[in-house]
Amino acid sequence: MRASFVFSEVVTGLRRNVTMTVAMIITTAISLGLLGGGLLIVRLIDKMSDIYYDRVEVAVFLTEDVSTNDAACTQQPCTDLRRDLEGTPGVESVVLETREQAYERFRQIFESQPELVELARPQALPASFRVKLEDPERFPVIEQEFRERPGVLSVKDQGTFLERLFELLNGIRNATFAIAVVQALAAVLLISNTIQVSAYTRRTEVGIMRLVGATRWYTQLPFLIEAVVAGMIGAIVAVIGLVVAKFAFLDKILAAPIEANIIPRLGLLDVAVVSPILLLVAVGISSITGYVTLRLYVRL
Amino acid sequence: MSKVYKTSTRPALDRVSVEVDKGEFVFLIGPSGSGKSTFLRLLLREDVPTRGNVFVHDWNVAKLPRRKVPQLRQRIGCVFQDFRLLANKTVAENIAFALEVIGKPAHTIRKVVPEVLELVGLEGKADRMPHELSGGEQQRVAIARAFVNRPLLLMADEPTGNLDPDTSQDIMLLLERINRTGTTVLMATHDHSIVDSMRRRVVELNLGQVIRDESRGVYGVGR
Repeated sequence: MRASFVFSEVVTGLRRNVTMTVAMIITTAISLGLLGGGLLIVRLIDKMSDIYYDRVEVAVFLTEDVSTNDAACTQQPCTDLRRDLEGTPGVESVVLETREQAYERFRQIFESQPELVELARPQALPASFRVKLEDPERFPVIEQEFRERPGVLSVKDQGTFLERLFELLNGIRNATFAIAVVQALAAVLLISNTIQVSAYTRRTEVGIMRLVGATRWYTQLPFLIEAVVAGMIGAIVAVIGLVVAKFAFLDKILAAPIEANIIPRLGLLDVAVVSPILLLVAVGISSITGYVTLRLYVRL
Repeated sequence: MSKVYKTSTRPALDRVSVEVDKGEFVFLIGPSGSGKSTFLRLLLREDVPTRGNVFVHDWNVAKLPRRKVPQLRQRIGCVFQDFRLLANKTVAENIAFALEVIGKPAHTIRKVVPEVLELVGLEGKADRMPHELSGGEQQRVAIARAFVNRPLLLMADEPTGNLDPDTSQDIMLLLERINRTGTTVLMATHDHSIVDSMRRRVVELNLGQVIRDESRGVYGVGR
């Protein structure tokens, strides 16, 4: 197999129907860009679960009475509650958060919205026990046991809030993947079409190649490489697009939640991890499409 | 062997049995639709016979697996009425193309292309484009391309069909020269005068059947 021959065939082929090639690259790039976006959301979710898993706690809020009169938790019923919570199997740690500490945290979280902080008063916030569980799934047991106890206002699982957040992110991810699949279908059809046009414009060459006994690989490889090269260019464009999107949009839109450590930052490293996947998918899809097209539609 | 096309009621070739020895020069004649082209297609494995076998050299062509077809075709040279040259390549590049696509090394190509150009009498025209050449010269290029890989068999499908009588005569001299190198030549033609003047073996087809096979034949009496 003479590489220079195949290479020059590929270059002529791509240049000969440049409009089709460009359309093919753009479609592939959009599809891969969306796939990459979806994969980045997956990474984001993973990172978030890592961050939040440590933070997920059950909050046992204390009544107004306890919050006001027993800030240090030295009297009944607060001492009993703490002892029982600590004694419950599966509980890793119990930390008291006083009304003042709760207010402090509230101020931190809503730093960017001073008017909200203005409105809030420490008196409005209950003190609570922050209970960390070895297994977050054990929440119902805790709730069952402590909901009705004296001095307890309510028992809340922060996990439910997170679940909703994750559901939203998963939804966005699924939508992204769905659009990516539709785009991929368009890309596949375009690749197939481009190869057919390419084979048609070069039918004289291909006819002579067949006649003089060129192997099937020799006649088909230029077309296949053409598709793969276009796919790879599409992948590169998609990666560039992701980097641009990160710097131009994501970093700005998500600046506040990232600063507040609610959403983890997606770095260039994440794009770098996703890129080889996109490249691999591009090469895989374009070569398979090319191969199948040549097998089914192009008599070489 | 026989060949029946699905779209036709009459077989394109009907119980045809022809044996050609190595180094022979054979004319394949007959009116349009007599089965000449089908005959050539079966030899090239463009088609397989409905019944019977086709042998070329050591190959049972009809039963040759697809991946071995290129090996067969590398040993058969083909020339057509319409030359089939690549318009965007020079004479030398057209010939080199046939070797490049079967993976011959560059140094071999550089050596054999001028040799074959000399054989067909086109030395000095290596860098011309096909459209700059006369019909006869273009056919010489096509013959050079068919012969450059030293095939066992050279098949020519009406190679003189587009040429005037004098030029046709030159082409026939060239085919004869190639035949003298030991290459079997099989030529399908309508050209009476050529067949009559060459006095070579003639196989005549009509409606898919061999109606004549003479060792030193003419085109036909009273036609």
